[in-house]
Amino acid sequence: MKPRNLAIFLISSGLVLTATACGGDSESDAGGGVTITVACQPAKTAPKTRQAWDDDVKAFEKAHPGVKVKSTDQQPCYDPKTFAAKIAGGQMETVFVVPVTNYADVIAKKQAKDITGVTNLVKNYGDIKQEARDMVTKDGKVYGVPNVNYSVGLVYNRALFEKAGLDPDAPPQTWDEVRAAAKKIADLGDGHVGFGEYGGGNTGGWHFAQSIFSRGGEMVVDGKAAFNSPEGKAVLQTLHDMRWEDNSTGSKVLIGWESLMQQMGAGKTGMMLGAPDVVTDVVQKFQGKVEDYGITGIPEGKASLTGGEAYMINPKANAAETKAAMQWIDFQFNTPGKGRHDYARGKANGDPVGVPNNDYMGDSPTGQEIIKLRTENASLPVENYQTYIDASTKVMPKLEPPKAQELYAVLDVAMSAVLTRENADIDQLLADAETKANKILAQG
Amino acid sequence: MTDTTHTVHTTAHRDTADETRKVTPPSVRTRKKPRRRAAWADGHARTIVSPLELKSRWGTRIYWAVLAAVLTVFTLVFVFPLYWMVTGAMKSGEEIAQMPPTLWPENPDFSVFSDAWELFDIGTLLQNTLYYAIGAWLFALAVDVTAAYALSKLRPMFGNAILGAMLATLMIPPIVVMIPAYVTVTDVPIFGWQLLNSPWAIWFPVAANGFNIFLLKRFFDSIPDEILEAAEIDGVPPWRVLVSIILPISRPILGVVSIFTIVMVFKDFLWPLLVLPDSEKMTLSVGLSQTAGAVSQNQIMAGLVIASIPMIIVFFFFQRSIMAGLTAGSLKG
Amino acid sequence: MDTLTLQTKRPARPPRRRPPTKRKRAVRTNITAYGFLCAALFCFALFAWWPMIRQIIMSFQQTNLVDDPQWVGLDNFRTVVEDPAFGQAWKNTIAFTFLALICGYVIPFAVAVVLNELRHARAYLRFVVYLPVMLPPIVSVLLFKWFYDPGPGLFNYVLDSVGLPTLAWLDSTDTALISLVLVSTWMNMGAGVLIYLAALQNIPGDLYEAAELDGAGIFKRIWNVTVPQTRLILLLMLMLQIVATMQVFIEPYQLTGGGPENATVTVAFLMYQYAFVYGGNYGAGSALGVMLMIVLLAVAAVQLRLTRDEKR
Repeated sequence: MKPRNLAIFLISSGLVLTATACGGDSESDAGGGVTITVACQPAKTAPKTRQAWDDDVKAFEKAHPGVKVKSTDQQPCYDPKTFAAKIAGGQMETVFVVPVTNYADVIAKKQAKDITGVTNLVKNYGDIKQEARDMVTKDGKVYGVPNVNYSVGLVYNRALFEKAGLDPDAPPQTWDEVRAAAKKIADLGDGHVGFGEYGGGNTGGWHFAQSIFSRGGEMVVDGKAAFNSPEGKAVLQTLHDMRWEDNSTGSKVLIGWESLMQQMGAGKTGMMLGAPDVVTDVVQKFQGKVEDYGITGIPEGKASLTGGEAYMINPKANAAETKAAMQWIDFQFNTPGKGRHDYARGKANGDPVGVPNNDYMGDSPTGQEIIKLRTENASLPVENYQTYIDASTKVMPKLEPPKAQELYAVLDVAMSAVLTRENADIDQLLADAETKANKILAQG
Repeated sequence: MTDTTHTVHTTAHRDTADETRKVTPPSVRTRKKPRRRAAWADGHARTIVSPLELKSRWGTRIYWAVLAAVLTVFTLVFVFPLYWMVTGAMKSGEEIAQMPPTLWPENPDFSVFSDAWELFDIGTLLQNTLYYAIGAWLFALAVDVTAAYALSKLRPMFGNAILGAMLATLMIPPIVVMIPAYVTVTDVPIFGWQLLNSPWAIWFPVAANGFNIFLLKRFFDSIPDEILEAAEIDGVPPWRVLVSIILPISRPILGVVSIFTIVMVFKDFLWPLLVLPDSEKMTLSVGLSQTAGAVSQNQIMAGLVIASIPMIIVFFFFQRSIMAGLTAGSLKG
Repeated sequence: MDTLTLQTKRPARPPRRRPPTKRKRAVRTNITAYGFLCAALFCFALFAWWPMIRQIIMSFQQTNLVDDPQWVGLDNFRTVVEDPAFGQAWKNTIAFTFLALICGYVIPFAVAVVLNELRHARAYLRFVVYLPVMLPPIVSVLLFKWFYDPGPGLFNYVLDSVGLPTLAWLDSTDTALISLVLVSTWMNMGAGVLIYLAALQNIPGDLYEAAELDGAGIFKRIWNVTVPQTRLILLLMLMLQIVATMQVFIEPYQLTGGGPENATVTVAFLMYQYAFVYGGNYGAGSALGVMLMIVLLAVAAVQLRLTRDEKR
């Protein structure tokens, strides 16, 4: 072969081989120090919050010489699509966030590091609520630092309550009251929706679980579906009647997680099930008026689905990286007055401060200090959330069922049926869903 | 690229070529009955309806009625939605939700476009998408042209088997193998590369395109071997034959392949959704989908308008190549 | 086979090129050719051929991508077959394909026949019909999502203003699937129209003249000349259409999330759910993929058969 021929082959195959450059991580240590990557930097669309984060990173690096922190800002921060692949491909950050739904899965698949010996690096670890800590503990070993913990309540639009002649300081406490209030709001006409609900995209089943828990029902007991019960039937029946008798749930089936909050933010929807962070999102992302939105305990209040997240550490991290990672978690997320608990700065930046969106520290000294700081610097009308706080102490927290996403997909069918078909046969729908759910649960 | 003598190889003979080329000479026209009303009925390739039928009183009437109907329906079905998209973007939040809707925005608001640009971060998205599209174009062209040339002109052992295996991939659309392809991209066998969030996750699979190779090879096949043999006797190495002889006469087909690759990358949704999840690396389509839930209806429409513009520009300028490519593919049977 | 030739002593390099022996030339051509081919072989092997094989392997495995995959026999297939949405997904996919064939196969052909008769505004009509094909699908889908809105949607407004009852579109089990088909047809049919148009223009005019002389009316001419003359293209497009509609994804993903009541779950959508929503069940997703592959190969085989018969 002629040298020039060879040259062209090299060019052609060289194109292919240049790809090597993009593989592998560049976690080289600068001057004997240690570099960690941390997830969940705020998005560019929130420049002030992002700046605050970047300032925190600088402050942290200053306090811990030799440690370099690199942030990633994937939105959403936890993406179930790519989670497994990122771990497998070594692209996972040193510090990453996992929602409560996925704790068991991540721990079982050994995708998080055992940090039992180093929890003391997070100084206030012991002040985190016991039940939150239990969730990240398996066989006596700790796999994460709980970061957020809340239970679902009823978010409502106070302005609409007033407009419809309802008392915004006495929000509904039972599902019958919810239905009556919803009807009054819908009767305002002009596209008003009394009670917004999801009907697909797995969020329908998710809200079914929230509703059935509130009525004291169960999703799964001893590995068997338990939602074909009087409580489950009541959930669907109420929703059906609200849709077809009162016409108070709107005619559009909502499928995306954001769609309901968007509708809420537009100001024509009276109520929805949601955690306190819904209030934050409605106000911050969907331009709802701060003073209009309140939250109260979930109707009936027998039990409530808990949500939350924990920070975990990459199983491939070495000892030095783990140490730096824990120090970061300590500094940024668990020190009152610092990092995310710097509420004075948050208020100055126009963040919605004051929503009781996180009680992971409970009544512990640290928890009380956080609440104090949050209330002092509140930019939101905290009195609008008081009934939620009062109720939350009495409500029993409930974990999501096993195989949550698959069960939610099954229950989407029932939810969408009652919302789209007047002649939906509720008994039949629940019986079908039960059979399907048992098959899924039996697969272990 | 517009040299029609070559497009003949790739296109159905009379499709995209201008009708003007086929207008019958005036002499023929004047010989027929000089009825001014239906002079247009002649001078067109013979189709189902004969010119004579068209020229009859009723034929003419029906023709105009059909033409008017087709024009109206097509405009309503294919243009009006786009008009609605553009005007919808310029309506205010209340106006867009109003019933009955307004045909033209009361106070056209152009600032929504810059809002949408900001909210969707279209600058980054567009830049990413362009980068992926142009990279894919160059890479796929380099890979596919060399391969098609080898298969067509150098005809190595097992060449036909290789071509067959490449064409067989056309039977299985990429979406069917999305899971193993995705897993492969996260950890490329042998090499151990991890291509998540890397442009190569787009470029490699795009280059593995049996259809491009098929088109190129068929075009190369139509180039007489004699030219190449003469070159070989003169001692011109194969790569120079490719660069200085084959490529210049292959411009039409290269145009077709180029446009198709670029358009494909621009339009793709599921694959970039999977392999480019980082918000800094996303493509335009995926970015629109991710953010659409969080902005208002008129902002969504503004985002869609902006996202459509690059493709419409491409269509304006490369209409010929695009249509030629369409028919080229279909006539292989 | 050519090793012998290679090992024979080579002349130090001929002063003036003589055509090398046939064998030598063959060896050299082969080396050159594979040099040119290597990049393509690399891409195809890793990103086209290997995924197909791997699909089959993965359908018998359970993997979390970190630990070594485990062989689980037919478990994955059992999982998907027992999935309540499985039957529905196939039913929907087939229904979608069928509806899309009516809308996206018959209509474009009819449109092309009419277009081919027109003597005016052809460039405009061709441009316009292909315009939606150029748009990124996400644009068409989000645009139609707004049109379908039961509140301020364009479609219900139009229905209402001409005195027809409004529809629930995406929000009813009766109309959701057909609504998806409409979007899909709108954004794809331009390609079909143009391909048929090209085929129609290739029909020799004297065939029509002959038919006309035999006294055939316009519809008879279509049936006896146009259809037989374009039969090959029609067959090919039939297969392409089926292959295309077997992979519906973006429409249910963006518009309905598979609902209401699973009315719009397609096989591709279900695959995606398994692998990327239900906590990474790649094995079950691959099992579905294998089934889709088999169906598509069967379609291809039938097509090949028909084309061959047709050509004879």
